[in-house]
Amino acid sequence: MNISRRGLLKTAGAAAIVGVSQSLFPAWMPKLVFSPKAHAQTSHDVLVAIFQRGGMDGLNTVVPYAEGANYYDRRPTIAIPEPDGSERAAIDLNGFFGLHPSLLPLKEVYDAGALTVIHAAGSPDPTRSHFDAMEFMEKGIPGDKVTSTGWINRHLQTTAFQNESPFRAVGMGTMMPSALRGPVSAMTLKSISDFHLGGRDDQLASIQATIARMYRIDVPTNLLESQAGKVFQTVDILRALSAVEYVPANGAVYPDSDFGMALRQVAQLIKAGVGLEVACIDIGGWDTHEYQGGVEGEMAGLLSNLGQGMAAFYTDLRDFMGNVTVVSMSEFGRRVDENASQGTDHGHGNVMFVMGGGSTGQIYADWPTLAPEALDDGDLEITTDYRDVLSEILIKRLGNPAVDQIFPRYTPNLHGIIADR
Amino acid sequence: MTLNRRDFMKMSGLTALSIGLASRIQWSGTRTVQAAQSLTSDHLHILHRTTWGASAQDIQRIQEMGIEGYIDWQLNPEMIPDPRIDAFVADEYPRLNYGFRELAAVTQEDYGATYFAAIYGRFYRAAYSERQLYEMVVEFWNDHFNVPNHDLVVEKMIDDREVIRRHALGKFRNMLFASAQSRAMLYYLDQAWSYAEHPNENYAREVMELHTLGVSGGYTEDDVKALARILTGWTVRNDWNDSESGFYFDGEVHDWDEKVFLGRSFPAGRGIEEGLEALDMLATHPSTAAYIARKLVRRFVADDPPQALIDRVAQNFQDTGGDIRSMMRMILLSDEFMAARMQRFKRPIHFMVSILRAFGDKFVTYDPNWWVWSTEALGQMPYAWGPPNGYPDVSAAWISTSTLLERWNLGFAMPMAVEDWWEGGHLDMDTLVPHAQTAGELVDNVSKVVLGGDLPQDDRAQLIGFVTGGDDRVLEDWERADKIQAVMGLLFNSPYFQWY
Repeated sequence: MNISRRGLLKTAGAAAIVGVSQSLFPAWMPKLVFSPKAHAQTSHDVLVAIFQRGGMDGLNTVVPYAEGANYYDRRPTIAIPEPDGSERAAIDLNGFFGLHPSLLPLKEVYDAGALTVIHAAGSPDPTRSHFDAMEFMEKGIPGDKVTSTGWINRHLQTTAFQNESPFRAVGMGTMMPSALRGPVSAMTLKSISDFHLGGRDDQLASIQATIARMYRIDVPTNLLESQAGKVFQTVDILRALSAVEYVPANGAVYPDSDFGMALRQVAQLIKAGVGLEVACIDIGGWDTHEYQGGVEGEMAGLLSNLGQGMAAFYTDLRDFMGNVTVVSMSEFGRRVDENASQGTDHGHGNVMFVMGGGSTGQIYADWPTLAPEALDDGDLEITTDYRDVLSEILIKRLGNPAVDQIFPRYTPNLHGIIADR
Repeated sequence: MTLNRRDFMKMSGLTALSIGLASRIQWSGTRTVQAAQSLTSDHLHILHRTTWGASAQDIQRIQEMGIEGYIDWQLNPEMIPDPRIDAFVADEYPRLNYGFRELAAVTQEDYGATYFAAIYGRFYRAAYSERQLYEMVVEFWNDHFNVPNHDLVVEKMIDDREVIRRHALGKFRNMLFASAQSRAMLYYLDQAWSYAEHPNENYAREVMELHTLGVSGGYTEDDVKALARILTGWTVRNDWNDSESGFYFDGEVHDWDEKVFLGRSFPAGRGIEEGLEALDMLATHPSTAAYIARKLVRRFVADDPPQALIDRVAQNFQDTGGDIRSMMRMILLSDEFMAARMQRFKRPIHFMVSILRAFGDKFVTYDPNWWVWSTEALGQMPYAWGPPNGYPDVSAAWISTSTLLERWNLGFAMPMAVEDWWEGGHLDMDTLVPHAQTAGELVDNVSKVVLGGDLPQDDRAQLIGFVTGGDDRVLEDWERADKIQAVMGLLFNSPYFQWY
């Protein structure tokens, strides 16, 4: 059964009475999250940012099969064959690029115009260090090791829309992603059903009430006390959410993985209308230096998880997708040449996906080609700065034109990759 | 970071609340906690700031030695025997004392063992070293000269010992020079790959911005470029089996042309000596004195550091050639320090370690992994902060919904070690907390263990109410046993235990 807003309000009320007395929240509860604005009336999309950690091999994800020898000769054991209609070859997109066959679930989304592919994209800093490249990408300032706020946090600081929900910005997992770090309070959430106060069950209610009183959460006089209040709101809401089994809509089936679980919970939060504006989801394992595989193998498994997860999210949220934009990125791509271990080393240009409301359904690439003389020190050149894609999303989908503050010292080029709301 | 009101409103999500409420918000610290006089006595205040948590033994010591005696004792850690740490290193983690080649060799065998030793060693020393103030100062400099150990576990372990720990209470100049020639720093900030043809400006920029002058310390982009050229050739001879391995000046890639740095001419034809001269200029610059003084005062006094004290400490830096011990003594014996009670928010490791210190020797760790994962869950794994500026120092950076919940859950979990409810260790509650007849005595006795004093009346009444469901009264044995863990957890999780 789907939890409706009305159902949630009812269960939340019940939970609050069972748990901490609602009278502890006179200033808070009514104002919280259950914004009167329905989804269709919001001024902006929910943004879901997927970070593929390790450096995804974009050339085997969205395969430039029409490059011929420039692609196939350089990847003797891992290349994805040209489309031939079989399951053991690329799935043609536009006569030049094809999807890895493990991404079959995304073909349907693409055919519906809800998936945009941006190729030869990425962060221009030349570093091939995972850590630096991830930090640069998430901070939104390539080459800058000093700034400690992330691009998404700066978006939340500068956007005109201010939302008091504790669920405003959520990093799925245990560590706060760098993109979310900064003065706007974000939360990390591993599991909706695990976000609760520990302790003995028989003492929990009185423990909570005592803590709440010690922190004076009804009349907070400092940051700590106000955040303590938020903890209780969050606990109550998530308890209400997890009280009802979540059944994805439209027969969507999420993969049984951390990534699938994270997407599923983000979908749950979106449908529950708890004030989510931005969610960050990580999917790791892309550092395929050895035995990467081709149509089958290690990377095929990673892509299968990615494709099934994104497609399930799309299916589950079909009725909401006009107000949700998903964007994927990875810190760098991988070399054109296969290495001696039948894998690929750290490269440069890569593929980004945009799914949902912001999608124009196109394949956007200012394609530099894989001709040897066109390569950037052996790597696919970056012709579209990832900040161009994000800037368009910020301006067109999130209603925030302050990209000069979100991406300082950078003037984005708007390529028309993203659809207007 | 000083918060303005608008930042605060965004952070706390209070924009929609009434002006009346917002006007009552304080920007740092907490009035309730600061007003708890029994918990903020002179002695407790000094112990809060010079230890990782005031144990019963610490309280006894400062009573015996007096304030100045205690501070001077702690300021000379080399004179303080530390048998527990010596045994820890010798018996369990000898690699903490290995030289580079030896450490590299065992790390090639087992990378994880070195990584774990670094993190657990950091944690264990904070919890159990007799040299508590020294360990606090070590933490400060590890943040100041931050190098994450993701890719540099061997190099950072050496850096931690030879740069940070060796000079933590010594001369700033010596620490700066050691850091500039440390493998960890040379790799981390790309100095090791800076050549005349393509100078890498990363270290040159950060050494001025973060280590010495401060971002507004009076240098220009041209100075960054000039310093990068001056330092070309400062690199590492990189062979783990090479007896010459270590810092190395490579004249082949050095830029031998003339430069101008911070207004001084550097003539052509000089090698490593011009880099040493440039670092010396930075080490003795008045902006460096002011910047280091500000950071020390912020860490040890208040998030919003008093300027008059900063000025005096900066003068001390200049008078003593950057003598860290002398600056620390000035700070800890200042009026500003004594006045700034409960104005610092414990960072996650501090929170965890202060629980262990409240337990003292009544707690035995079974599984040190537990501590390592807990630091990660709370967002402060040692040596894991990526950017070179170190883990944030002020309360606003650490107070968030999810980390607060993680704290509370840790605070409730740890007293349960009395019955081995979790596998991290065992707590002997009966010898830790004196026997109590009444609920009030129970609250007071636990409060003395956790907070070093008595709770203010209103919160004391809350806890008594938690124990009895009503007023104070004599407890049955089963009641006391049933409630004592939760009372202790509530005190660890109270606002009083978050501030120091």
